[in-house]
Amino acid sequence: MSETILKLDKVTKVYPNGTVANRDINMEFEKGEIHSVVGENGAGKSTLMKMIFGIEKPSSGTITYKGEETHFNSSMDAIHVGIGMVHQHFMLIPSFSIVDNIILGEEPTKGVFIDTKEAAKRCQELSDKYDFELDVTAKVSTLSVAKRQKVEILKTLYRNAELIILDEPTSVLTPQETEKLFDQLRFFKEQGHTIIFISHKLEEVKQISDKISVIRNGVSKGTYLNSELTMEQLTNLIIGRDLDNDMDEYKTHEDFHNEKALEVKGLHMERNGKPVLNNVSFAVKCGEILGVAGVEGNGQQELVKCITGLEETKYTGEIYICGKTVGDMNIRGRRDIGMAYIPEDRMVDGVAGNLPISDNLISTYYTREDINGKVFMDSKAIAKVSDNLIKTFAVKTKNADTTVNSLSGGNVQKVVVAREYNTNSKFMIAEQPTHGIDIGSAEFVHHKLIEMRNAGAGILLVSADLNEVVDLSDRIIVMFNGKIAGYFPDANNVNESDLGMYMLGAKRQSEEEIGGALND
Amino acid sequence: MTENKNKASLKSVLSISNPKVFDAVKMMISILIALAITFVVLCLVSSNPVNAMITILTGPLSKTRYIGAVIESFIPYAFAGLAAGVLFSAGAFNLGAEGIFILSGAVVTAIAITPVTTSPVLHPILCFLGAMIFGGVLMILPSFLKAKFGTNEMVVSLMLNSIYAGIAAYVVRTFLGTLKRGGNSSKDYLATAKIPYLYQPLRITACFFLLIAVTIILYLVMKKSRLGYQIRLAGSNPRFAEYSGISAFKLAISTAAIAGVLSGMGAATCLLTQTTFYTPSQSLVGIGFSGMLLSMLGRNNPIGIVIAAFMIKYLEQGTAVLYFVDTSVPSEIVAIVEGIIIMLISSQHFLRKFRERRLLKEGLEEHAE
Amino acid sequence: MLSSVISTLFTMRFIQAIIRMSTPILFAALGAFVAASTGIGNIAIESIMTFAALTGVLGSYLFNNAVVGVLFGLVIGILTALLITFFSMKLGADAFLIMIALNTFADSVAIFVLYQITGDKGTTASLTTPILYTWDIPIIKDIPILGEILSGQYVLTYLCWLIIIVLFIVIYKTPLGMRMRACGLNADAARTAGINVERLQVLSLILSGVFAALGGVYLSLNYLKIFSKGMVSGQGWMGVAANGIANGNYWSLVLSAVIFAVFRAVSIIFSSNSAFPTDLVGAIPYFSVFVILTVVSIVNYYRVKRGKVEEN
Repeated sequence: MSETILKLDKVTKVYPNGTVANRDINMEFEKGEIHSVVGENGAGKSTLMKMIFGIEKPSSGTITYKGEETHFNSSMDAIHVGIGMVHQHFMLIPSFSIVDNIILGEEPTKGVFIDTKEAAKRCQELSDKYDFELDVTAKVSTLSVAKRQKVEILKTLYRNAELIILDEPTSVLTPQETEKLFDQLRFFKEQGHTIIFISHKLEEVKQISDKISVIRNGVSKGTYLNSELTMEQLTNLIIGRDLDNDMDEYKTHEDFHNEKALEVKGLHMERNGKPVLNNVSFAVKCGEILGVAGVEGNGQQELVKCITGLEETKYTGEIYICGKTVGDMNIRGRRDIGMAYIPEDRMVDGVAGNLPISDNLISTYYTREDINGKVFMDSKAIAKVSDNLIKTFAVKTKNADTTVNSLSGGNVQKVVVAREYNTNSKFMIAEQPTHGIDIGSAEFVHHKLIEMRNAGAGILLVSADLNEVVDLSDRIIVMFNGKIAGYFPDANNVNESDLGMYMLGAKRQSEEEIGGALND
Repeated sequence: MTENKNKASLKSVLSISNPKVFDAVKMMISILIALAITFVVLCLVSSNPVNAMITILTGPLSKTRYIGAVIESFIPYAFAGLAAGVLFSAGAFNLGAEGIFILSGAVVTAIAITPVTTSPVLHPILCFLGAMIFGGVLMILPSFLKAKFGTNEMVVSLMLNSIYAGIAAYVVRTFLGTLKRGGNSSKDYLATAKIPYLYQPLRITACFFLLIAVTIILYLVMKKSRLGYQIRLAGSNPRFAEYSGISAFKLAISTAAIAGVLSGMGAATCLLTQTTFYTPSQSLVGIGFSGMLLSMLGRNNPIGIVIAAFMIKYLEQGTAVLYFVDTSVPSEIVAIVEGIIIMLISSQHFLRKFRERRLLKEGLEEHAE
Repeated sequence: MLSSVISTLFTMRFIQAIIRMSTPILFAALGAFVAASTGIGNIAIESIMTFAALTGVLGSYLFNNAVVGVLFGLVIGILTALLITFFSMKLGADAFLIMIALNTFADSVAIFVLYQITGDKGTTASLTTPILYTWDIPIIKDIPILGEILSGQYVLTYLCWLIIIVLFIVIYKTPLGMRMRACGLNADAARTAGINVERLQVLSLILSGVFAALGGVYLSLNYLKIFSKGMVSGQGWMGVAANGIANGNYWSLVLSAVIFAVFRAVSIIFSSNSAFPTDLVGAIPYFSVFVILTVVSIVNYYRVKRGKVEEN
């Protein structure tokens, strides 16, 4: 009864710079199954999927789809034979309507014009058929993250995809939304679609998959029936050792608690007349990690921008860093009174890619005395500082003169964290600190954050990864719609699906309970 | 073992995979290609292309005064190049040097025709100061608007160039002019304002040493100072610079001011050595724009820019020498050389395959060890 | 005296002048817009206009036919666009730098060619060149006022307005246009929808080159009837500025270009009157662009501050 739809035979990918992303991968996908491909970040899952979807070409080996060897020149070719992909970063155009996003590239026409009526009709039918509850004439910019993901899935269905690749689809969803997505995936399966599910969240993989294939270091570690694999075995296959789940150092350090690293009172900001931050008040004590949970786009980004001083729009409310009011200080002023900041998008904000590592390791404190001479900067001292940091943070590089561009994602992040760590700040904002980096580097970053906390720093952790928030934080606030929807004074005793209810806005605490975020 | 290591390191220093070596090789190949294309063009337009080519390349060396002409004329261009280099390094596309040159030329002229002092030392210095202050302040405008309001600095600076040219022409015609030259030019400069030759045959003046001093200072500032570090960061990734706490606003203002001061200096060096009066529609036209090309040629490195300026002026002098015997080749041909070199050296992928193959090979070797 | 100048501002001839003068700026603006629609900032418009203005005259002279001249101009516009794409897409150069370089030595290259052909470094006045004609529209030309304004314009002016309408339809109503806009708004999204982004960007740059070239040949074969050094005089940049002000809004693009033309016309009328300083009056159009561009950006700045953002 099983029919192979996609077969990878000795697929190898070597990039021009010599990196071997995939080596001799053999894998088979059967029609109508949900097949997970798991592995660490950087293990080679994305490259493999890019080859299946025609974005990259294999250096050697063959990919066979429905019995025919594929030679895709672009994703267009893959789309034409019925392969669809939902990317981790949504590939949508916010100012276009849902319809326009769906039909883009495959527009129904009347004469030379786009047949807008027909397009809307087809999209609405499709949405209704799969019970997606979307008004397809709405602009994508008005949609929530979960709805945007639905639009992405609709895009593949509109193109009659039989094989749908979902790349880390749950990373931006709440537990409830994930549950709903899984129901939908099971429905697709019933309809005869094949799903390739890429994830690093093993519980979800165990929950949804029929089969699981593991990739480690670019090499396939085999395909297994989900039912025949325990969690421990799976973990072992992925990282080749047991995870260090030692939570001993995850305890609060109350000695520092009488000082506050950050206080935010009544923060309020509007965009196009609608509040994106609505009376937000909380505090981060020294020696604690305060986690901010929430579905992307509920005000977390704006919150961080207001605190760092990078926000362009005017806001009201008070912000105190290490007890000093920030007023309309710019980011320099705020750094000077004790703020450090690990930004969400390291390549955009966190580094200058074509400059050497050493330049990147000092940017936030380049005026400090120890690395400056009387007139010029002290290049010897800078070399010493950067060599030390490279060593302490185990950045994999030849030397400090290498440009940051040539580093892997995990190592770039280590450079960012090393630099912010070295500012010796009392207050640290860590925004998606381990997003898209390998488990080894992520663990390292987590340990460093905890080390800083234990040394008395207050850390504001903003992450879309709920596990990270729960594991790392001492206290948690949940953001929904620009407001704090829930406050959890003890992160060791929270239930993730309960948090999910607050993230979705299904539950809300009273003002009094939320007030604890500031006053506890 | 150690010997082996030394050998390996020497190899890697000289290897094409070393970015500095690669850049140098790329530059040389670009120049060769540009000269080859120039030769093809010469074949099309000249009756004796071989001779023309040789004259362009060696002509300036045939007489001392030719080299003198190069030395005298390249200085303002070098200043314009340095000005553009500072702005480009910081990632600013303020193309306003052209207008600053022309307008600060009017300032130089105003001071140079006025008997503000009888000292032949102080008078040129006052001319310089006037032009530098004026240039520094005016250059800030487009960068200020960009940094504060996000105004398109490129278009603004180009519009200001035309506006400044109009103002300079008006000021010279109305306040500084003389009917002797049809109203378009200024009165003659006073003798005290002129900068004398220190070594007449090579036309070396104090400006030459001023340029060298400024170049060295600028080089040190760019490589070693905190300001240079800020400029590097902002030029590489402005968002990262902002994130790091470097005020984009302050940096934009200070780099623009430096570029304006350099432009003012350039205008003064040109007028006080090469002319005795100012014609806004001629004297300084095109220098500011050329500076941008020179900056690209010199890859924003102050020393590279000065070398590039000398090279380009040398080639132009070569065409001028050629012009005595062969009028079919105008000096504009140098612009073609310049354009080709700029396009090739700014092409990241040019010769990349060659380098990648090397890197791949070295990578494999390293792996094998 | 001032009143006599002002009174000319309200004559038919003034309106006709605006229409004539807006044509090259509109072409430039369309060129900037169509490139920007796929996410490419074409700042080489000015140089393409210069190249096309010269080659237009040369083609017309060599074949004794103005239409061949226009075709020559178009070819050079396309070649320049391809040159830019070759260096930026194939050789990985910074397109911005390539275009700045092009603009900066465009005049030199034009003078070099001009000198080879005419022996003169200033103009093509020594060449007898057939030029394009004006067109008297039947019927409409007999309508009072309207006929005076609409009829009797240069043929390329009519082509310009036709292109304005056709381009609007293509960009906003056809699959091609939607795909082009998608490239500009989110290239990755377009790519994953199976659109060949690079190909559309090349196409849009070629179109941009064609429009700019039309602006150039209009200047040398219609409006001024010769090529002369520096004749484009910032009109390409005005198109770029109009595109910046319009920020993706098609009709503001057209309006901005026309407004710039009004200031050009005003400047020319004032400069013909010796009572005003010509040097300053000549700078009026540039000053208007400077002021409008600055005011628009200041307004936008305060809009963002007040929390008004446009979603793209």
